[in-house]
Amino acid sequence: MAWEYSEKTKQLFMDAVHGKPGTHMGEIENADGLGEHGSLSCGDAMRFTFRVERHPDDPLQDQIVEARYLTFGCTSAIAASEALCMMIEAQKRSPIEALKITNADIVTFLGGLPEQKVHCSVMGAEALEAAVFNWAQKRGVDLKALGVDVHADEVDEGRVVCKCFSMTEPYIRRKVQELGLKTIPEITNAIKAGGACMACHHKPGGLQDILNDIWGTPETRLKEAAELSGVGISGDAPSPYQLGRHVDQVMESEILPMLRKDGGDAEIVDIKDFAVYVRLAGACAGCAGAMTTLKLLVEKTLKEQIDERIRVVAVGR
Amino acid sequence: MNKIIYMDNNATTSVAPEAFEAMKPFLTDQYFNPSSMYEAARRPAHAIAAARATIAACLGGVLPDEIVFTGCATESNNMAIFGAIRANRGRRHIITTAVEHPSVLEVCREAAREGCEVTFIGVNQQGEIDITEFIRALRPDTLLVTIMHANNETGVIFPVAELARLTKETDPGILFHTDATQTVGKLDVDLKGELSQVDMLSFSGHKLHAPKGVGSLFLRRGTACRPFLCGGHQERGLRAGTENVGHIVALAKACELAMAARADETRVAALRDRLQAQLCERIPWLEVNGAGAQRLPNTLNLACHSIEGEAILYQLDEYGICASSGSACTSGSLDPSHVLKAMKVPFTAMHGSVRFSLSRYTTAAEVDTLIEVFPGIVTRLRRLSPYWDAAAGRPQEGHS
Repeated sequence: MAWEYSEKTKQLFMDAVHGKPGTHMGEIENADGLGEHGSLSCGDAMRFTFRVERHPDDPLQDQIVEARYLTFGCTSAIAASEALCMMIEAQKRSPIEALKITNADIVTFLGGLPEQKVHCSVMGAEALEAAVFNWAQKRGVDLKALGVDVHADEVDEGRVVCKCFSMTEPYIRRKVQELGLKTIPEITNAIKAGGACMACHHKPGGLQDILNDIWGTPETRLKEAAELSGVGISGDAPSPYQLGRHVDQVMESEILPMLRKDGGDAEIVDIKDFAVYVRLAGACAGCAGAMTTLKLLVEKTLKEQIDERIRVVAVGR
Repeated sequence: MNKIIYMDNNATTSVAPEAFEAMKPFLTDQYFNPSSMYEAARRPAHAIAAARATIAACLGGVLPDEIVFTGCATESNNMAIFGAIRANRGRRHIITTAVEHPSVLEVCREAAREGCEVTFIGVNQQGEIDITEFIRALRPDTLLVTIMHANNETGVIFPVAELARLTKETDPGILFHTDATQTVGKLDVDLKGELSQVDMLSFSGHKLHAPKGVGSLFLRRGTACRPFLCGGHQERGLRAGTENVGHIVALAKACELAMAARADETRVAALRDRLQAQLCERIPWLEVNGAGAQRLPNTLNLACHSIEGEAILYQLDEYGICASSGSACTSGSLDPSHVLKAMKVPFTAMHGSVRFSLSRYTTAAEVDTLIEVFPGIVTRLRRLSPYWDAAAGRPQEGHS
């Protein structure tokens, strides 16, 4: 896909990448507000920090004076991060007023974004929101009491597990139990959760943790199943076919000792009907002539000992 | 704008001047329909016959009428797969890999919707196929195996000769198709020798310095395959539609040139190897995807930890360097490369993947420029990344 970025987007990106004075790359130490959004698996992520000038009596009158970001992402993700910081620093707002900056404002500031790239601006807005929430905690500001609608994902009750599809833990738990969902793909197929960025699959409190909590860990489930059916767990289940067992026996007792005497070795890869796939290894593996001889030798032995219809297919590597 | 440094030859190639010259007459005064009866139409008709013979010779001396001209490799792949299904109604199982080009992968998924069953063979971290898994996938009702000759993203070469042999030794009734779009003109494609068990082979012109809009399907005599485009006698009824004479002539010329330039391959391989060695030496936390596998001599797929591929490409573009990436942001679908995903390349490196693909027109000076500018691009982006620990010169703890 060719670039369809606005001049502004390109300019902000290049300025940021080349660290032009006045750009906002970095992280503020002991920041008053720190928010993160995105993940490595999504392909973009942002860590946003700001510093306020504290009001002596009323934290609500704190003023954001400095904003910085670190961003992993594409051209527009970096430009959107830069835009967010520029807007915030220029406006000198209080953190709560800063929340009014939406992703649409970022898009406008950038002079538009291609449709597929709008999520880059959403990332900026989300990181800002998380940072304001962090500031409120530090400053003892009760956002809820102020009627500020901060995403429920930071609140224990109704915690959002899958951010892409905004699905909360209580909902996912209910569905997992109602529908008897046992694996992450089953969850995704049934209710879409975990189907986009996949960041929630294995993170703490994510889909796998919910599954383990409800159904037990995969190992305990395996053990239970084994106990129920009365079989032990072993990696190499014997072949269900008489022929397979027979071939194994003849290989062990006659063919392998013969091959090993000359530094060779062989392994049964598969048996289909009467076709036995043998991977020949060891000293003779590299030599085409030796391979043919060995193949014929193995085939002859198996035919004589087991069944005339057997044929050997040599597997080269 | 700087002069273009073109390092994206697995996407498309420049048209060889000789191929362009060869096609010109058929776009101007030799415009006649090769199916027409008058004397003037004989020259285009003969040109097609000659092109067919040239290409047959380039593929190891197969029969000229085993070469079917198509519009592109995507069409060849569609024809091979759907044609095989329609000609073999008694069977319904297809084997392919998880890393095929979409023109095979999506066609197989489409076939699955129409009632076929498809097995997708996985690859290891080097991008190599597991032969054991392949053998186990073969079934009595297997109708078709379609596995690419070399991967377009990583350049990893699959052992197609061996896979075709195993297929035919299991059951000669199973058809074997390979998408050789990345290998014709780059590797030996000998359909009489090493690849004599391959029934169908697709390739396209624009990956080997012919123009876009022409491709071919090798269809071994006796292979059961129905046409994909119906409605005309052209290509012995296998591909209807008036022949694209000029492009067909250019394709033959390009194949001929590629054969003659095979001696140049070691030069291209040496350039690629130098590029790889130099970049790996200058940039920490840089990995080569598929490094442990047999690869095409022209392809280098790099994984740059902690940064994102689109931003890399954008900066390369500032230097006039053309390359591509498997990152989500370049795919248009928000999904990173299915090939790198199948190889289980870690997320941090997958999003930071860049592919450079050279050609016989690539110069040492161009490679030098790339070696010079690329480390700076990576460093600058890493400075911006929350996943990069600049002080330690490595990815942040827990993000590598």
